[in-house]
Amino acid sequence: MSTETRTFTCPYCGESLDTQDGLKSHVFKSHKGRGLPAAEGRIKLIINKAEHTFLVEPNWTLYYLIHDKLGLTGSKQFCDRGACSSCTMIVDGRPVLSCMMLAIECDGKTVETVEGIAAEGHPLIEAYVNNHAMQCGYCTPGFVVASKALLDRNQDPSEEEIVEALSGNLCRCSTYPQHPIAVKEAAAKMKADKKAKAGV
Amino acid sequence: MKNFKHFNAYSVDEAVALMGRYGERAAVIAGGTDILGKMKDSILPAYPEALINIKTIPGMSYIKEEGGMLKIGPLTLLADIAANPVIKSKYAALAQAAGRTASPHLRNMGTIAGNICQDIRCWYYRNQNNRFSCLRKKGGRCYAIKGDNRYHSIFGGSVSGGCFAVHPSDTAPALVALDAKIVTSSRTIETEKFFEVKPVKTTVLKADEIVTAIQIPEPPAGSASAFLKFALRRSIDFPIVNCAAMVTLKDGKVSAARICLNAVHVIPYRALQAEQAVMGKKIDEALAEEAGQAAVSAAKPLEHNKYMVAVARTLVKRCILACEGK
Repeated sequence: MSTETRTFTCPYCGESLDTQDGLKSHVFKSHKGRGLPAAEGRIKLIINKAEHTFLVEPNWTLYYLIHDKLGLTGSKQFCDRGACSSCTMIVDGRPVLSCMMLAIECDGKTVETVEGIAAEGHPLIEAYVNNHAMQCGYCTPGFVVASKALLDRNQDPSEEEIVEALSGNLCRCSTYPQHPIAVKEAAAKMKADKKAKAGV
Repeated sequence: MKNFKHFNAYSVDEAVALMGRYGERAAVIAGGTDILGKMKDSILPAYPEALINIKTIPGMSYIKEEGGMLKIGPLTLLADIAANPVIKSKYAALAQAAGRTASPHLRNMGTIAGNICQDIRCWYYRNQNNRFSCLRKKGGRCYAIKGDNRYHSIFGGSVSGGCFAVHPSDTAPALVALDAKIVTSSRTIETEKFFEVKPVKTTVLKADEIVTAIQIPEPPAGSASAFLKFALRRSIDFPIVNCAAMVTLKDGKVSAARICLNAVHVIPYRALQAEQAVMGKKIDEALAEEAGQAAVSAAKPLEHNKYMVAVARTLVKRCILACEGK
């Protein structure tokens, strides 16, 4: 028989209690209506329209989960401090920086990466290639994702709107002038496609 | 990043209880763009044992007009504040400030409460692996006084210790100019009194207190507000100096004015002298110039930041003229 005193840990907040009854009354008092506690670190994500379930550590960023663990290596990490935007992903419709988000806090979210944008045959990819909006190419996935998020909410962006939407993305090769050209070309292509579809 | 415990709080009470239990050993995470950077660089002597996520608390993100005031939820994203038509028209300074904070992606992550509760950006304080054990880390001295202080306070150090790190928030001066109140889990504080310089602390919030709402009274008739920011680049950068002003005109003359500079002092700096200078007068270029001069009359810059005095003076002038629509 162990003489060690046993403690009961609250699954919701981690408080230690001496007795099971103490734990019961604590849960009733502090966490009423919370339902059964979820398994620690278990999250569900919809990534590029496919549903995934992961078991994550608290210190994993969304970038680490998707790039290193899931193996979608399209998005890139450069600064790891939220300054360069090369790790941009679209989460619930908004372009955000996956290096500054904890994976454990993304439960239930919908994520779109550059792979998803390429897979759906988005005209942005072609436009970026045609206009050579890259040199070394490391920042390009971030730019493409940010541009896609812009085109999702604004089908016909002006030059200023494009510059503003991409103003968080850094490119050390200074390909900046090519990006508005590429995004505009993609927007025009999308418009033409839509018209063609409506015509049929 | 080293590992830590992670808790999702599902109500304000739960968050407060968790914070009470962990005290200084835990940190609250909302947008995460500040705290995660601090943890990745291990800038503090103590690494947080636990993170308490408050994004899981329902009903913390809203913008609504109610009872003669604007109420903003603490977790409202900066992007939503910048784009809100009511804030853009009636509380222009706040919309402009939120819209000039960081980059578009960060504005999709960062929250209004996080922006006013953020930590300082002093490069000695933020140096990796706690390299400089400065006053703000309960260390011995401020390294900026004799070091590179080009982005430090021009209005002197903190009273309690002599730390010269400036408060980096863009929305804080706008909230001060608009006379906002910060509602926390236990009290209501005027924005001006919300900031405090203490080791590893920038606000008066206690270890078990979180911001639960921001209230801005409706500006009186004839009011206009504006926000201007001077930074190295248009996007991403923290301010070198920023300024927000709200001016109320009656019969063409100034009947009330609130002007606040930030990134020039350890806390947002209300330019009372500039406010007095414009009181009861008709705004024109010369008066705005005079007010700008008055705003920096108490400045005592360090070795490398004398240029900030000129920037602050000009921003106050332009901000007053912007309120007048010139």
